[in-house]
Amino acid sequence: MEELIKIQNIKKEYKMGKITVPALNGIDLEINKSDFVAIMGPSGSGKSTLMHILGCLDTATFGEYFLNNEKVSGMKKSKLAAIRNKQIGFVFQTFNLLPHLSVQKNVELPLMYAGLSKRNRIKRAREVLAEVALSDRVKHKPSELSGGQRQRVAIARAIVNSPAILLADEPTGNLDSSSGRDILTIFSELHLKGHTIIIVTHDSAVAERANKIVHIVDGLIKNGDFS
Amino acid sequence: MAISLKESLIVGFFDFWSRKIRSFVTITGIVLGTMSIIVVLSLVNGINKKTLEWMMERGGLTKITVYRDWNYNNKRKLSTYFSLKEIELIRSLIPEAKYMNPQIRHHVKFSYEDKEYRGPIFGVYPDFSDIEEWDAGKGRFISNFDIRQSNDIVVIGTKVKEELFGNKKALGQMITVHNRRLQVIGIMEHRYLYNSGNLGSKNALSYLNRRSFTPLSTMIHKGTGEDNIGSFAVKAQDVKSAPDLRRKLEAIILNLRAGEPVFRIESAQEEAEEMEENAAKFRIIFFLVSAISLLVGGIVIMNIMLASIQERTREIGIRIAVGARRRDIFLQFLVQTILVTTIGGVFGIILGLSILDIVSKYLDFELIAGGFMILVALMVSAGIGLIFGISPAIKASKLNPVEALRYE
Ligand SMILES: Nc1ncnc2c1ncn2[C@@H]1O[C@H](COP(=O)(O)OP(=O)(O)OP(=O)(O)O)[C@@H](O)[C@H]1O
Ligand SMILES: [Mg+2]
Repeated sequence: MEELIKIQNIKKEYKMGKITVPALNGIDLEINKSDFVAIMGPSGSGKSTLMHILGCLDTATFGEYFLNNEKVSGMKKSKLAAIRNKQIGFVFQTFNLLPHLSVQKNVELPLMYAGLSKRNRIKRAREVLAEVALSDRVKHKPSELSGGQRQRVAIARAIVNSPAILLADEPTGNLDSSSGRDILTIFSELHLKGHTIIIVTHDSAVAERANKIVHIVDGLIKNGDFS
Repeated sequence: MAISLKESLIVGFFDFWSRKIRSFVTITGIVLGTMSIIVVLSLVNGINKKTLEWMMERGGLTKITVYRDWNYNNKRKLSTYFSLKEIELIRSLIPEAKYMNPQIRHHVKFSYEDKEYRGPIFGVYPDFSDIEEWDAGKGRFISNFDIRQSNDIVVIGTKVKEELFGNKKALGQMITVHNRRLQVIGIMEHRYLYNSGNLGSKNALSYLNRRSFTPLSTMIHKGTGEDNIGSFAVKAQDVKSAPDLRRKLEAIILNLRAGEPVFRIESAQEEAEEMEENAAKFRIIFFLVSAISLLVGGIVIMNIMLASIQERTREIGIRIAVGARRRDIFLQFLVQTILVTTIGGVFGIILGLSILDIVSKYLDFELIAGGFMILVALMVSAGIGLIFGISPAIKASKLNPVEALRYE
């Protein structure tokens, strides 16, 4: 098994004035290539905090993070930006699409920051939009799409640069159950195609598709429940 | 640079367009600022050009004129005229002068067949034509040979020609000028300078076209017999040597009249310096006015950009999440501010040019808006965007992505 992610004793504290709020209290985790990991836990337990650290959107207060055998903790901001761009795809609960850009342009965004030419951007964006079955919506604005379709755009954007890991923080949280199932099917398909996926969910149906479940309570991993 | 300038521009333009009213309020200061740059620079240019035209008409910066000072209290009854001998002496003392022309002026009656005309006639040297940069348009002007021979010839102005000959041929004809028969050997070039003032003629130089010229020697030896030269003009080699020549002439003339300032010397030098000074003051004052409105405009834009960043916090978070670096965000917002101020600049230029168009109809001089001015105004407005865009752009680039994404 090829190791993709390794975090050791990760701690995260939020400073709010004089009070420090501990969000993660020493997390150790290893994730292999092509894993499908489900992260579960009660509200406020630190799931999103962990995802943000894994996605290089935030840095840990303490501990080390290796991605592809490269030490990410302590990296310069510009390098972290490159990692976010090329190695990580992030899918949010609230889609986070740019409202004034078309579906196509939204998906092109990471390619643009990667420095691809316009021609290659268009070609690649069309490819991934086809993968999420949105070829007929490329010119639409996000506001003209359903929730499920918006999340599919977000997934297309997340995978457009062929990242090493795909992170999804409650991707079905804002969707009705039927669209939620569609989205989960897409994640399953991506997993079958070899993508490494880490997904935060409250839904045990999601967890069933995972090959690894991580339970977090109060900023700590409660079990390394492998199924 | 990973993010293209074009994308920044497109996003910026979209943002500008989607909030039209606010955007136009935003750029008012810049519009007014650039507008005043255009208007004021053109005004200063127009005034300068007009003054320069006048100076050139009067012989430019190298011409020095000497004539009787009417204000001088001539108790010792010194001669207020130069004799031909004195003129020749002065000429020999200033070999560095390029041209010299003494002149006598009389008001006389001209007649040809049944036509009569009254006007000034000047006894001059051939140098007149060089000093005044005014030559015969038809035929020729007076030559040195004419001076030596005191030939009975005359060169007439276009107005004189029109009055005496109408459409008939004038060259070669004999006309009577104050009891003498003179042959018309030339007609001066017609002089014209547009004057839109409602006083008098549309031609500010019409008085020149009424003048006629005869060799000075002819006038002295065959005319009045009097050798009373009222004034003379000298032309220096170049603008640099003109002040020295003037000082030298001053000394010579004082010497000729026992140190008494019977004559006055005039050159365009002082006028030119004064004009330059005035123009400089003008420019400074109006640049300050423009600068203040641009500064205020810049501050307004900075604040609006800061507010716009607040509104677009989530967008910035998304961009960072998908891989934008700090400098991509910085550049995006800087480019957008520059875009906004440049749009303001373009409107300002259009407004300024329209104002010039209207105003110049009511002024008697051209307002010249050169491409250079438009370039300056454009660069200034873009520069304001650059300066006042930096702080909002830094703020945007420093946003924490996690917090930005949580922003509602
Ligand atoms: N920016 C912040 N400032 C202060 N405290 C924060 C901040 N972000 C998160 N926290 C705190 O850290 C803890 C973990 O939050 P986190 O968002 O990771 O929880 P979560 O497991 O994702 O919860 P949920 O299931 O509700 O999304 C919480 O106590 C939260 O209040
Ligand atoms: Mg969460």
